[in-house]
Amino acid sequence: MHRSSLQLRSRLEFASLELPGLLIFTVGVILPIGLDFAYSLTSWDGYQKGWPWVGLANYAKIFRDSQTLAAWWFTIRFTVLNTVVQNVLALALALVFNGEIKGKTAYRTIMFLPCLIAPLVAGYIWLRMYSDVLPALNALLGTRINFMLFGSGRTVLAGLLIVNQWQWAGYWMLIYLAGLQSIPIELYEAARVDGASRVRQFFSVTVPMLAPAFTICIVGITIGSLRVYDLMVSSTGGGPGRSSTSIVYHIFNTAIAGRQYGYGSAISMSLIAVLLLIAVAQLGLLRRREVQL
Amino acid sequence: MSRHGAGGRTLAGRAAIQLMMTIVAALTLLPVLEVVNLSLKTKKELYVGDPLALPQRPMWENYATAFARLKIGTTFFNTFFYTAASVAAIAILASAAAWAIARNKSRFFRFSYIYFMIGILIPFQALFLPIYTIGFTLRLTNTRYGIILMYIAVGLSFCVFLMTSFMTQVPVELEEAARMDGCSIYRVFASVVLPLLKPALATLVILQSFNTWNDYLMASLFVSETRLKTMTVFLQQLFSTTSQDYTSAMAAIVILFAPIMTLFVALQKYFIKGITAGAVKG
Repeated sequence: MHRSSLQLRSRLEFASLELPGLLIFTVGVILPIGLDFAYSLTSWDGYQKGWPWVGLANYAKIFRDSQTLAAWWFTIRFTVLNTVVQNVLALALALVFNGEIKGKTAYRTIMFLPCLIAPLVAGYIWLRMYSDVLPALNALLGTRINFMLFGSGRTVLAGLLIVNQWQWAGYWMLIYLAGLQSIPIELYEAARVDGASRVRQFFSVTVPMLAPAFTICIVGITIGSLRVYDLMVSSTGGGPGRSSTSIVYHIFNTAIAGRQYGYGSAISMSLIAVLLLIAVAQLGLLRRREVQL
Repeated sequence: MSRHGAGGRTLAGRAAIQLMMTIVAALTLLPVLEVVNLSLKTKKELYVGDPLALPQRPMWENYATAFARLKIGTTFFNTFFYTAASVAAIAILASAAAWAIARNKSRFFRFSYIYFMIGILIPFQALFLPIYTIGFTLRLTNTRYGIILMYIAVGLSFCVFLMTSFMTQVPVELEEAARMDGCSIYRVFASVVLPLLKPALATLVILQSFNTWNDYLMASLFVSETRLKTMTVFLQQLFSTTSQDYTSAMAAIVILFAPIMTLFVALQKYFIKGITAGAVKG
């Protein structure tokens, strides 16, 4: 009796330690999710007094509104390509740095310096790179590569993807590198004794042992790509036309500039749904692989 | 120590990789160096000169102009204050929560961990509309404590995750000894746990600082009064309104980047530790 009341007291004390954080988090993150859903059922413009109820009309509108669909289409292409390319690049870089190469520390520092730069600033920098600096490099090398990637709706996605690799590949590389360095060397020795080729070693030892790193990088890059916004504000303004308007950018345009707070909230609910679905699916798949080891 | 060295068996292979990495590193560094280069040029050099050429004479005046244009006294203080205050608060709140979660196996604590993780899966960019209206309703917009509170709210999730993964570094025995001596839980947290968490806290500080320092969306939404604005918001205005003064805008970029760069160099090893938390099995 005495023991359990002591335990309860200690638990309550622990809970009280956690409470301030839980409270602030609830007000700043959880409450907004509920509120966002409430707004999404109205045609509120962000200023008027009442919230005119429209039911699910805003959600139906998402599927008819070509601008919203275009923003989603851009965001999906950006997310899929970015997740694939960035993971491959990060892993390739990590493999190089895990091997024999001189001046590792210097290279590594250079490679992830760009992630310390604000994404907003990265946009300004690359605006200049594409318009001015890289063409000058063209002249220097006598090549004729077209670097005006932000100038056309057909190339703007490629242009933004390049900026994103420049900024974040080095960051995710560090996670793969930490994963690689934690693999016990005995595993490779055993594989070699069994006569496994280097390719075979990579797929039978390296890839499975990197499972936790894969989980973090794949989920992290996917979420990071779905929320992209600052980069476009400074580099393309969502253009040319609306060809690089990401979903967050579109929410901003719709709700703040377009005064459709209700509809904008419905679009952000669609983003939340996609974020949760993808994260749960990825975590389910990837974690299962981790457990199997 | 080539474990499965990427093609590093032959001398030629190794030389090829070395060369390739040098090119990759040079291309990565080029945009950064170019910003510094442009920030020191005259307008004439900017418009008619070769962008890759160095300035004839470094125009340090551009930095003086950028300091003035950024209203550096105000905006630097704001950015620094919002970052420092929110990161300090997060450090304490997240370690308290992580410690409570790590030391209790009951349902409430297990649930609260998952509850916090929602914030990692749903970044605030998906929630900025209601975050703004809640702030507005509670009279938090255009106040310093308001934006700091929101930075804390949206930063907590990741930091709780980070601190929980570091919690194994705190030996339970020390805590139990302190409890035996009659210390309250709060006392144990403040005088035993927090000091032991110092390396983890350094990691949290650098990771969270550079996020908040570089934030644009929250700052642009939450404060509209000039005296409360941050450097990124001012920088955005600088680029959108005074396209004539491009060279000082480049200097402003360097000014924004320099402090975070310094912090990184000072705390590099903690930065890497933080990024890689949870990436290694075991």
